[in-house]
Formats: sequence, C-alpha cells, structure tokens
Amino acid sequence: MENYFDYTKKIFDPAKTKEKPEVFKGLRVLDFTHVVYGPTAAKILGQYGAEVIKFELPWVGDLWRFGVYWGNFWRHSSVCFHFVQYGKYFFALNLKLPKAKEIILKMAEKADVVIENFAAGTTDTWGIGYSQLSKVNPGLIYLSCATYGQYGPMRFFPGWDLLAQAASGAISLTGYPGTDKYYKLPDYVGDFLPGNIGAMAVIMALNYRNRTGKGQYIDLAQGEALMRILPNFTYESITNEDLGRTGNTDPTMAPSGIFKACDGKFVAIAAATDEQYKGICEAMGRPDLVNKYKDTFERLKAGNAQELIDATSKWVGSSNVDNLVELAKKHHFAIAQVEDDYEITHDEWRQERGSVIVFTDEMYGKLMLPGPSAMLSKTPGRIKWLARPLGYHNRYILKTILGYSDEEITQLEKERVIGNWDDRPGIKPPVYYDIAADPVFNYK
Amino acid sequence: MSNKEKEQILVRYGGSRKEREIFLKGMMSPDGKDEVLDDAVILDVSYANLAGDICSSIFAEFGAEVIKIEPPEGDPSRKITPYGVNRNGVGVPFIMEARNKHYMTLDLREEAGREEFKKLAKKAHVVIETYAPGKMDAWGIGYRQLSEINPGLVYIAISPYGQYGKKAQEFIGVPDSDITAQAASGLPANIGDMPGAGEPWNWPLRAGVWLGWYISGVEAALGGAIARYFAKASGEGQMVDIASADSYASLVGYPVTIGFTWDKARPRIGKHDFAIYPYGFWKSKDGIVAIAAGRDHDFRALLKVLNLWKHEDDFRFTFDRIPDILTQIEEFYKIIEEQTIKYTSGELVKKALDYSIKSARSKWRGGGVPIIMEVQKPATARQNPHWNKRKSFQEFDDEMLGKFTLPVNFIKMSESPPRVKWVKCGIGQDNAYVREKYLK
Repeated sequence: MENYFDYTKKIFDPAKTKEKPEVFKGLRVLDFTHVVYGPTAAKILGQYGAEVIKFELPWVGDLWRFGVYWGNFWRHSSVCFHFVQYGKYFFALNLKLPKAKEIILKMAEKADVVIENFAAGTTDTWGIGYSQLSKVNPGLIYLSCATYGQYGPMRFFPGWDLLAQAASGAISLTGYPGTDKYYKLPDYVGDFLPGNIGAMAVIMALNYRNRTGKGQYIDLAQGEALMRILPNFTYESITNEDLGRTGNTDPTMAPSGIFKACDGKFVAIAAATDEQYKGICEAMGRPDLVNKYKDTFERLKAGNAQELIDATSKWVGSSNVDNLVELAKKHHFAIAQVEDDYEITHDEWRQERGSVIVFTDEMYGKLMLPGPSAMLSKTPGRIKWLARPLGYHNRYILKTILGYSDEEITQLEKERVIGNWDDRPGIKPPVYYDIAADPVFNYK
Repeated sequence: MSNKEKEQILVRYGGSRKEREIFLKGMMSPDGKDEVLDDAVILDVSYANLAGDICSSIFAEFGAEVIKIEPPEGDPSRKITPYGVNRNGVGVPFIMEARNKHYMTLDLREEAGREEFKKLAKKAHVVIETYAPGKMDAWGIGYRQLSEINPGLVYIAISPYGQYGKKAQEFIGVPDSDITAQAASGLPANIGDMPGAGEPWNWPLRAGVWLGWYISGVEAALGGAIARYFAKASGEGQMVDIASADSYASLVGYPVTIGFTWDKARPRIGKHDFAIYPYGFWKSKDGIVAIAAGRDHDFRALLKVLNLWKHEDDFRFTFDRIPDILTQIEEFYKIIEEQTIKYTSGELVKKALDYSIKSARSKWRGGGVPIIMEVQKPATARQNPHWNKRKSFQEFDDEMLGKFTLPVNFIKMSESPPRVKWVKCGIGQDNAYVREKYLK
C-alpha cells in the first residue's frame, strides 16, 4: 500500500487547488458589511466560490480600508483590509438615493444571500432589511450580524470586537490570578470567530433551502458566539465559584504552561492524558511523580498542579527547546514553541501545507496571506484577487448583472449614485498602477 | 422633528418599538422548527482532543445524529477539566460538549471493534477523528479505506500539524492540546506587557479561553459543512484536514500579513491596540469600563463626555492616536484614566449613551458615538437580562451530571436553528440503540 503521507500529499496538493471545483459557484452574496465581523462571513463564502458583491459608500468606503497597524499603509492599501476582503467585487453605491435602492432591490431578486452588520434595525430603516428584501425574493438567506443581536433590551448598543469581549465576559479571563491586570484577546478574534460562525450558519441555511426551497433570517450576536466557547458558565454553575484568570497555566491539564527554556525561547507544554503525564515525568527524570498522582482529578487540584508546574519549570529552564522537542517526540506529550509573527511567516511547513500562501496579485504584487483554516481535499478554498480600490467593479457589476448601458452608467455617475475614490490611501489604487488601462475597471 | 424622522430614530434606537422585539423573538424561537442536519449520521471518534467533540457538538445542535465512539474505559477528554472539577467522573468541558449525542463504546485497538466501526462508517455521512496522522489509516479505517466503501463520506481529521507534509510526519508522536495549539499559532506571542515591564509580565501569555481548540473545532465544523454541502450536490465525499497549530494564525490573519510586510514580529504592547485608539479598558470608580472611540468623530465625542477637550488639538486625527509612540500613548492612557476613575461605571455608560442619543438627533454633533460599556465577567454576563431574554443559557438537571448551566442558542435562525435537546454522556449508554439501529 502507498505510504500514508504520500497519499495525503497527493490528495491535498496545494499546487492543484486551481484545477479543483468550487462548492458555491453560481451563488451570489450581497455584502453590506464593514470592518471585520460581517466581512469575514462573506469572505469565506467567496473563498469557496460564491460571487460576493461588497457595497460601500462612494468617496467614503469601508472604515477598515484605513485600519492599518501603526499607520503603515502597504502600497496605498491596508493589509488588514486585504485579508478580510479578498476575492470580492467592490461596488460603491450611495444607499441614501432612491435610484440606489432600486438597484439593490433588482440585485436582491438575483441574489441568494445577504449579509449585513449595522446596528440592529438600521437596514430596515433604509428599506433593505429582511422584511423588505424577502418580499422581493422569498428564497433569500439574510444574515444580520450584531454584537447584541437583533432583539433584546440592549440590541441598539453599538459594538466592536472589544465590546463583544466585554459583554460576554471573555475579556476578563486572560491575565495572572490575584492581580487586577488583564488583557483583551488580540487581533480582533472576537470578530473573526463569530464571522466564521456566521458563514457556517449561512451554509446550514443554504442546505435547508436546497431541501425545502425556503429562505430564512439569521440573527447572529457576537456576544453569544463568544459565550458559546466559555466553560465558565458551566464551571460556575457546578462549583458556585469564579474560575477567573489562570495566568500561563491551563487549569484543565497538569502540568501545563508556557515556560522559558535556557536558550531564552518560550515553550508550551501540556499533559492532556495520564500517558502524556507519564511521558513528561519520564522525560524530566522524575518517575516518582507518576505514582504520586495516579488519579487525574487529584493531579489537577490547584496545589498538586502547582507542584508539577514548578518541577516542569525547573526542568525546562535547564534545557533548550530543540532538546525538549526531541524528548516530546520520544515520550509523547504535547509541546510547541511559542511562535511570533516572524517565525510563522518563515515556517517552511506552513507554506508547504498551503496554510501560508505567497499570493501574486495583478494590481498589488506579492503579499503573504494565510490559506484556509480547513483544508478540503476536493473543493479547497482559494484566493483569486486581493481587495480592490473603492468602486472598482462598478461598471462590471452594472453591466454583467443588471445589463446597464454605458449611457445609463454615465447618468448614475453624474447623479453621484455610484462613484469611487478620492485621493486618500486605502481607497485609491496604488500610484504606480495604470488604472486607465485596467480592463475590469473600464469594463466594456 | 417630523414623524418620519422620529420613526427612524425609534427603529434604530428605540426602546418603545415593542412590536419589532416581540416579532423577532417569536421568529427566532427554535420550538417546533426543522433541523437542517437531521439526515446526517456522524461518527465522532475523537480521542483526548476536545476540538473533535466541539465540532461534533455543533453538528448535533443542528440536528445531526452524532454517535460519539469511545474505548471501553472512556475518552480521556472526560478528565480534562479545570482543577479536576467533575460530576461522576465527567469534567466541565466534556459536559459542555455533550450536546444531543449518543455515546457508544468500541475498542478500535481490537480487530472486532474496527470491523464494527467499518460497518457503521458505511452508513455514516461524516467521520471526525483526532488520532495521530496515519493511525486510522494503519488500522484500515482511515479516509483511504472508508471512502472506498462509502464514496460520499466526509472525513474530518484534527491534529497539530495536519495530515500531510514533512512536519506532520516528523511530529507524528506529539499529541495535541489547547495551550500548544495557541503557542504554535502565534497567539501568546501577542499577549503580554511591553518589553520593559519585567518578568513574568513581559512573557508571552496564554489566552484564558480555549482558543486553540475552539477555533480548531469551529473550523472543522465549517469545513465539514462545506464538504457536506458538496457531497449532497455531487455525491462525492472528501477529506477535511485541520492543523490546530495553525488555527489561530489562519483565522485572524495578522501574524502572517504583518510578519510579511514588517519583516519582523510585533512587540507585545500590553493593553493597547495596534490600529485603533482609544480601544481598550480603563478603571472606573467601582469597576472597569471598555472604551471604543477610534473614529475621529467618536473620539471628539469621548473628549466631550470626559471633559478632556483641551487634548483635542494633540490627538485630532486617527493617525495622531496610533500607538506607535508607546510612551505617548501610555501617557494619554493615564490622562483618560484620571477622568474615568472619578465616575462609577454606570455613570460613564450613561454619559456616553446620553451623548450618543443627542448626537444621533443633531446635525451639529457629526454622529459621534463614544462607546463606553461596563466590562463583564462571565458571572455578571450570566445575569444580564438581555441574554436571558434571548435565551442564551439553559439549565439542565441530569441523574448523573446533576444541575448545571450551558450557553446555548448561539445562532438564531428563523427556519432551522441549532438547539440543545439533551445533555447525557454515560460511557456506552447508547450501545444498544446504535446496534439496533445501524448494525442489525
């Protein structure tokens, strides 16, 4: 029989991604979202083949076009924006004008999914809420993303990742016990994770529509999505105690933690099972500990766990990371070096796997991006192009989807129903790029 | 104000639009609604890895028939629990992910167990496993063999470094855990105090939430849902591969994009944010408040609310407030704190809300919305009437597990919402049921 890893390498080969089919080909998504939470849900559908049309205000654009780390634009664009917006069509339409609403209603007839993340009720007041669009197209799946959801006494509170973390309690859990210092979860993960859950909800709804022909309305509250991943409510209902912050130790495994090795590098080690615990004890030369804590639950009790953590800390401090990793391979316990951004960018295995991709874009050139989180052997996700300047696909959308003529488009431009960028970085094309010669922007 | 304007404000901000509230509440209630995955049979053989249980829980909440298969002594993940807290040998995370499942024992280490598993897999639609890469294959029940007898099968594998490539092969003997998944995928490297803070404050810090395993589990469910969609359309199954050591990095994207464009790692910057300011939390008289006022008009509103207008000139634009000069931003943090500490959290929230409501009605205030919210602990979030109205929690009472609470209904859908029907997880409790239904 063929070696397993040769077989898997063959079925997952990242070089063959382009030849494989796309699951959601032919599905159309109208994306009225901004910043990170909503756009992520739409992006994932696009990653797997859906046609995602992102609506923005002309001359204004998505706020996240200017969301740059430490003020660094990259080729007059934001890399953070590229990551949440790749593979979409960029349509800049002034929602406030009646003609724009007509266009949206026409597009809603031909769409399968609508996603929005404004404050609860906003799209309804604009006439493009579920109540209105489902009349035009009853099969429509409409996902509303909000921090507190669409109903409940706090529904009208505005939200960001930070506030979802604050509302769910997730924000209070990272940091050392016995201090009043704590840290938010970084990198807007409170937007990204619920965004992914949103995409999943839409896929479930698409499944349901295929079975019954019915569309539906989805109300996804960021706060609830974050609460779903916290064990604290269950823990507290059982013990009547606050689980609180636990510093660099995972209280569910003993020993566990992030330790400093003698070479100054940090390493995470954990024993998830009794066997792994035995492995660690053997590796650190403390076989006496194996018999001392035979019972898993006994071992996990705070004081006992601390003894094991201290022993591990001492052992790790006297060894280097490479050594420890070799020991882990031999004794089968969980280990990983703490990797920073630079190391992740340069890890060979991530690039071999397709988890990190060097993508070459026609407009922006080379950018390194993460690949899909889940690798699918037959219908992998892919990146087709990066984000585009504001209103880049205006002509393309109006001509291909709605069949507008050049005169009609010029008229819409004159009335400022559609438009594109001004001179700010983030919304304009990079200076070196010859936009006048671009066949998509000037779509005939 | 015209009636039309009034209505618009009411629809957006109104507490008095009860109809909308009642209508939506009825619309989103799961009672008596269809379950979208009720045509799917899912086998979960995850072992000592709760990412697998999380994935199968999500499918089960959407109505799939999930059969969790454990060895006769039980899955070790039953014993993975904070400080050893358990009910009759079952730990908290395992209880939390024991939603709507059937529990069966099969010993896959024995030939007979594997034969029975094969028979089940022939009738199943999804398999979830977390063994070392190649282990199931060596047992003759991997994707390669099962796809022969069941071409429509979706096979989800979760492991630290995935199922293919050199690293996966090299690290075959290293098991998965949440903390190592976090460490390898760039999360702790970005939590912690600034370099000058001294040890251990400036060390990389573990996120106090199981992000390594929960992201892996959610992505496995998302990948599985996509694969299942394709299988229903085409009849073709496929393999879905999750690498937990990459879960966080590929979810949020920043480690890769920033690492590439800066060509160096970000430093740890404590409580600050890289792109937006103010965006974090401050002490109040009686607790802690989160403040988000990154946009210029929100920021101006915040200065008004906190009586700090004299600083407007120094920090007028987004790019004046970027925390790239850390000393400056530390100082500004203190300036804000000097004000927030004077008021209780409730007072601060009210001040910001009052301003926002006025601002929404005034063309002179530029729509500035300074967001100030009380920071909750899970225990206080549990008490929030908002979540109770949305039925975000459910109480359970089981003979074996006793009384406990779960966060539920995390996605509200008008036609086919997920829901929790039961939580029961005795080892082998459904052996007879599964044998009767699928192995006869």
